[in-house]
Order: sequence, then structure tokens, then C-alpha cells
Amino acid sequence: MTSSLTKKKWQRFVSIRRGFVSFVLLMAMIFISLFAEVFINSRALLVSHGGRLYFPTYGEMIPGSRLGLDYDYETDYRELQKKFRAEEGGDWVLMPLVPFNAYENDLKEGTYPPFPPSLGDRHFLGTDNVGRDILARLVYGFRTAMGFSVILLVLNYSIGISLGCAMGYFGGRFDLFVQRILEVWSNIPFLYVVIIVSSVVVPSFMILVCIMAFFGWIQMTWVMRTMTYREKEREYVLAARSLGASHARIIFKHIIPNTVSVIVTYAPFAISGGIVALTSLDYLGFGLPAPTPSWGELLQQGWTNMGAWWISASVVAALVITLMIVTFTGEGIREALDPKMHTIYE
Amino acid sequence: MIAYFIRRLLLVIPTFIGITIMVFAITRFVPGGPIERIIADARQMQSMDQQGGAGDSVAGAGQPLSEEQIDRLRHYYGFDKPILESYFSWLAKVLKGDLGRSTRYYDPVWEMIRERIPISLYFGVLTMVIVYGVCIPLGIAKAVRHKSGFDNISSIIIFTGYAIPGWVAGVMLLVVFASWVDLFPLGGIVSDGFEDLSFIEKAVDLFRHTLLPLLSYVLGSFTVMTLLMKNTLMDNLASDYVRTAIAKGLSFKKAVFRHALQNSLIPIATHFGNNVSIILTGSFLIEKVFNINGMGLLGYESVVDRDYPVVMGILVISSLLFMLGNILSDLCVALVDPRVRFK
Repeated sequence: MTSSLTKKKWQRFVSIRRGFVSFVLLMAMIFISLFAEVFINSRALLVSHGGRLYFPTYGEMIPGSRLGLDYDYETDYRELQKKFRAEEGGDWVLMPLVPFNAYENDLKEGTYPPFPPSLGDRHFLGTDNVGRDILARLVYGFRTAMGFSVILLVLNYSIGISLGCAMGYFGGRFDLFVQRILEVWSNIPFLYVVIIVSSVVVPSFMILVCIMAFFGWIQMTWVMRTMTYREKEREYVLAARSLGASHARIIFKHIIPNTVSVIVTYAPFAISGGIVALTSLDYLGFGLPAPTPSWGELLQQGWTNMGAWWISASVVAALVITLMIVTFTGEGIREALDPKMHTIYE
Repeated sequence: MIAYFIRRLLLVIPTFIGITIMVFAITRFVPGGPIERIIADARQMQSMDQQGGAGDSVAGAGQPLSEEQIDRLRHYYGFDKPILESYFSWLAKVLKGDLGRSTRYYDPVWEMIRERIPISLYFGVLTMVIVYGVCIPLGIAKAVRHKSGFDNISSIIIFTGYAIPGWVAGVMLLVVFASWVDLFPLGGIVSDGFEDLSFIEKAVDLFRHTLLPLLSYVLGSFTVMTLLMKNTLMDNLASDYVRTAIAKGLSFKKAVFRHALQNSLIPIATHFGNNVSIILTGSFLIEKVFNINGMGLLGYESVVDRDYPVVMGILVISSLLFMLGNILSDLCVALVDPRVRFK
């Protein structure tokens, strides 16, 4: 696949500044979010206690008794840090940048959350209506949304590409029949099925992906159908067929490689579509179950509690930045793979 | 050509039956329908009676309604018959123009829908006017000045608009302009006491309630339209007949407006039919954010409340509009582009 043509396309993509910078940023954001535990966590990065070093970030939880505390449940590292500082016994705790996880409620005596952003409390974007750190929820919510969209993309593409190819390649009655099914399918109110399923079971991550994929494959099927139709009529397919190539060989070795640019071009838009869909569902309360960090749930909080401007401001900003980066990447890819040379009149 | 459109119209029928039968079947298998709700209500009333009455009465948390009563309810809602049979009796009623009554509000479904149509239509028509009114000139300007500073900056703005879903922008607009700066109302379509205002006050009030939701609506279709206009116009500018026109000495302006523009409007025409369903059904997310009682919100609430006759009624209208809109799109294309032949 690393032909000179692919290389040329990649170079063209790199030369499209807006698209390439967005792509690099997107990769960086995904990379950081994969290791979010290192930056945003209630567990310490490093604990030095009694001459031994502990790395609590990943792995089993360390009971408080092992670090010289009088309880057996998980150590509260923020308290431990304060205790070690007060003792000045050479023990120390290194906390992550944001010393909260996405689930814990950091409450204060005498007041009620949401708390506005504060550098002193290490709540850089404030807390939500029940005192959870917004930055933590944004980052972990980003990871969830990205994972969701990518899995959804893979499912939608595998169904859409295989079915669409078959429709376009074999045509005839089969095509006409599947077209009617697609028309019926795209008219079923999607929200309706989601609500029904969530009234029967609490939708877990995978169930939600499956429901979305249940409706999401239609677009890709249409696109692939049209593309295959077009490619099928080309001379090279005729040549392959007259050489005696099987249907499978023509589809997998000839048609799909020639439609791959379209498939790739649609991918970023499918990702941003997935993020928006998950956010909408969470906003309406039919998405992931309650304590899961999610952008839609934060938006819902911002909408009900408009006085706490930092909630809606941070989540809208995060959403806009992410979606813009994804869209710009997509535009860059589209331009690189499908360059249109336009005549310009002076 | 006429034969083609007649065939398309005939194909609407099996598709329509397919759609409605699927959703109708789903409504049967879902827990939480009207009968379950009535049982739950009755149970609540019963337990309240017990609390209010003698405290030592038997705590009957069991079935509040007798079998006979439930059977009568099943009969009333048509749940006692097999799916196909009750589906066809529903379909027969729809064909006579009767969409049934809401199981929650007991109003005729058609009247509920009819009340909401003007609101969705109001926003839909305004959105369409603005989108076409702005996107076509903007697309032309961007195509003519391709790769200029104006083109790049407007592209960034347009893509930003494309990246934000309309309803998210709506939430932000509300927080900024209705809560933080108290410029606009928090939602609804008119204020309380709208009837008592003078004509000008009414207009101002309506405008204040319209602006923010309208912005959210416009945001959605703005980018697609502008880029469609720009790209097709540029394709046409690169084609041979425009080059010929310029080569024979026509000014660039005339070449654009006399030759290229007309042909570039074809793809815009293909989108036109889809507007029919968008105008009438609206977006339930935007309507929910701004608390506008349009078709979208009615559909959403009926689904959440499991108000099946309303769900089915809206489905009938929206799916018919969707399919007719598709045919209308093809018709538009055939009208503006004489090369198109449907067989």
C-alpha cells in the first residue's frame, strides 16, 4: 500500500496546514486521554513511605494500612499528602496535575456545589452540580466518546461496505429489495428504539454502540452502493473479469481499493457524528448509565443550572474544539485525496 | 417520465406499510404502555386511600384492577387482537383520516398535531428563507474569490458552524444571552399575557423569542448549502462552455451570472424537496432546549410518554412527507435540468 501514489497523497495532506495541524492535535488529544490516569486521578503518581516507593496509578488499590494509616480501604492520597507534609518525616506524595477522579464528590462544609473554577482547590474548570471535577469529567468523557465513535465506525463500516458493495456489484432484484429495506429502516424513529431498549435494560456501553450501529450503517451502504456501481462499469473491472477473476477477487482486489479514498474521507465525519449522537443521547438522559463521565450529561447540568456558567462554557468549548479539529482533519483528508483542480480566471 | 413518477408514487405505498408495521409491532412489545400506566395509577390511588383511611386495612400491594377490568382495557386499546389484525384496523382508520386519540391526553391525535404545525412551519419557513437567502450569494462570492482571504476566513467560520450541533449552540446562546446578559427570554414562543399587547409589542415579543432558536436552526443547514453552491459553481466555471464564453470575449461577470450560475443551481434544487419534511417536523432537540411546542417536541414527548397513537400519527405524517419530499427533489431536478431523463 505504500505506493508512490499513497506517499503523494500523504504529502499533499501534510501540505494542507489547517488539516494537518488539526490531525496532529487530534492524535495528541487521543494519546493524552488514553493516559488520562497519569494527569487526572485521585490516586497519587508516586508515594515515598518508609524508604519504599509506591506507584499507585495503575494496578491494585493500596489499602491505607500499608501507608501507615489506620484504615483498610483505599488510601486517600490527598489526605496522605497533607499528613506527610505536617509530619515532615521525609515521606512524600506526588499527586497528578488534577488530584481528582471523575467520580468523586469533593464537597465543602457550609456551601453547596457547583463551585466555580479555582486554582487553589485544583478544580481548574470548577465542579459540577454534585461537586465532581469538570476537567476530569471532560477528559474521561472525551475518552468514552472517542472510543464509542471508533467502535461505532468500525461496526457501521463493516456492515455498510459489505452490503453496499454487494448491492452495487450484483444489482438487479437484490439491489431493489435492499433499497426498500433501507428506506423503511431509515424511517424508523431512532430515538424510539433507544428509549424502548433503555426502558427494558440499563444501556451499557456496548448495548448503546449496538443500538447506534443498528441505525448507523445506512449512510455508508448508500455511499458504497453508488461507488461500486460506478467502479463496476470501468474498463479495468471488465479486463479483470475477462481474465477470469472471481467475483470475490474483483470486489476485494479491484473495487474496494479504488473506493478506499471515499471510505477514508467519510471516517472523520463519522467520528464527529458519533460524538454528537452520544452527547445528544446523554443530554436527553437516554445514554450511558448515570455516573459515567459524559459531555451530554454535563450539558444537561449546564442547561438546568444556567447560573453556573462554567459548566456549560467548559463543555461547549470542549465540544466545539473537538468537533472543529475532527472536521478540519476531515476536510484536509478530503482535499488531499480528491484534489479538484479548478480553473481560475484572472 | 410521467410513468417514472407514477411508479415512484406507487412505491411509496409498500414502503409506508413497511415503516408503520415495524413501529406498530415495536409498540406492542414494549413494557410501559397505557395499560401498565393505568394499573400503576390505580395502585397509587389505592395506596393513598389506604393511608387516608383506616390504617389497619390489609396492605394490598397486588393487582388493583380485576382481570375483567384489564381485559376491558385491552379491548379498548385494541391489545386483545393479534398484531396484524389490529394493525390493519388501525390502517383502515388512518385511510379514513382518523388517527385515533391520544392515550394520555384523550385528545384526537390529528388536532394535537394540527395545533403544533404552525409553530414548526413558522421556524421552518424562516430558516429556509434565511438559508437560501444567505447561502446562495455567499457561495457565489466564495467561488468567485476562491483562495482569497475572504474565502479562507469565511471557510473557517462556516466549518466552525458546521462542527457545532445546532442545539449545543442553543444551550450556549441561552446561557450567554438569556441568563448571563438578560437580553432574550429563556424559551417558549411568546410571553405570558401576549394577548394584551399592542401589535408592535407583539411583534417585538415574537422577535425576541424567535431569534435564538432561529440562529440554532440556521446553523445546521448553513454550511452544507454554502459549500454545495460554491463547489458546483467552481466545477461549472472550470467547464468548457464557460471557457468558450470567456474566450469569445464575454466579461467574467456575465459568464458567471448568465452561464455558470444557472447550471449551478441544479444541485441546490435536489435539496429542495428534503425541506418539506424538515420544515414541518422541526428538530426536537432545538425545540426541547428552547421549550418550543412544535412538532418535534410533540414527537419526543409522545415517545417518552409511550403515547402510541400520537407516535404513530406523527410517523404517518413524517414518513409520508419524507418520501414525497424525495420524489419532489427528483421532480425539481427534472424541471431544471433538461438532460435528466428518468426511466
